[in-house]
Amino acid sequence: MDDNRTLITLVLILLPLSLVSIGGGASIFAEIQHQAVTVQGWMTQREFAGLFALSRAAPGPGALLVPLVGWKMAGWVGALVASLAFFVPSSLLVFGAAHLWNRWRGFRWHAAIEAGLAPIAVGLILAGAYAILRSTGPGLPACVVAAAVAVARIWQPRLHPLVLLALGAALFSIIASLT
Amino acid sequence: MKDKSETPPALADADSPPARRAHLFELFLLFSQLGLSSFGGGVSAWIHRAFVEQRGWLDESEFAAAMALGRIMPGANVVNLAVIVGERLRGAAGAVVAALGLLVGPTLAVIALAVVYGRFAEVPMVGVVLEGVAASAVGLIIAMGIATGTHAIRVAAESRPRMLHGAAAALVIIATFASVGVLRFPTALTVLCLAPLSVARAFFASSSEREDDGR
Repeated sequence: MDDNRTLITLVLILLPLSLVSIGGGASIFAEIQHQAVTVQGWMTQREFAGLFALSRAAPGPGALLVPLVGWKMAGWVGALVASLAFFVPSSLLVFGAAHLWNRWRGFRWHAAIEAGLAPIAVGLILAGAYAILRSTGPGLPACVVAAAVAVARIWQPRLHPLVLLALGAALFSIIASLT
Repeated sequence: MKDKSETPPALADADSPPARRAHLFELFLLFSQLGLSSFGGGVSAWIHRAFVEQRGWLDESEFAAAMALGRIMPGANVVNLAVIVGERLRGAAGAVVAALGLLVGPTLAVIALAVVYGRFAEVPMVGVVLEGVAASAVGLIIAMGIATGTHAIRVAAESRPRMLHGAAAALVIIATFASVGVLRFPTALTVLCLAPLSVARAFFASSSEREDDGR
């Protein structure tokens, strides 16, 4: 009974969040944290920070925090319900947009929009990278490592990214232990 | 998926080959693999590498448009990107399979990690290593941004006057970065302001020389 109420609350929180969370990432997490810790009192700030750290440690999208919170609240069913509530509405919306977008392919204005959006996408990609670097705090080591990995990735495109991640992490650990 | 009748024939068949090459199961496995490899974030850089660099199923411009669309729509950016890429390659089934691939494996992994984490004490070294991996993943994202950016500028500079169009594209990159990254203006607002200008430039560029369309 209590479990059901938790699940319903999860859905009621995540479903609208799925449709308003533009820009992803930080804005979503702040709201989930606010709801889970302050409003619902589901977990302490420390526990939430632990889940957040776990979602960062695991490979995959940062949004894995959502199924993880669901799992913490109500086990596997919670993870499933949280995932469905959070990922399905926004995915349906973006699917509709993508479908329309691809359907109009071939028209001149379509090509113009695609070409016009490209530099904007690049700006957003770089802004995203910058935001992550800034969120890690005053990190000269992080900037050095990010720059080194970027150079290596462009210079040696055949090198597997996992190798770069491992080398970058090693370099970061060395710099961090020196400073 | 089925009705391509509305698109002009010349481009309609440039449209279908990638769709035929990607099998649903392959798409699922590929997205699972990307999801499970992308330690420290940077999933979009992995998607770029797999679909643009290695397989050529999407070209740089398609990928950039998918990135922009995924970021201005609500939801998790990378999941949106997977849905758009899946839709492009295999329609509705492709979108479902791409999103599931990206989410199912990593979700199981993160829950497994949570179970282990609950049992073992925290290792102090792990924190530093994770920070290092995250910083490296940012490097992958920057490299992708540079690759996509040089392509965007090069495509823009195909139109005359070359310097002007190339510089305009570079300016849009810088303005977007400054607005969202440095000034922290909302993404949607920024795109709403800059996209009309950038698209208008691209439209005039394409009308001034119709013989090639840069693809």
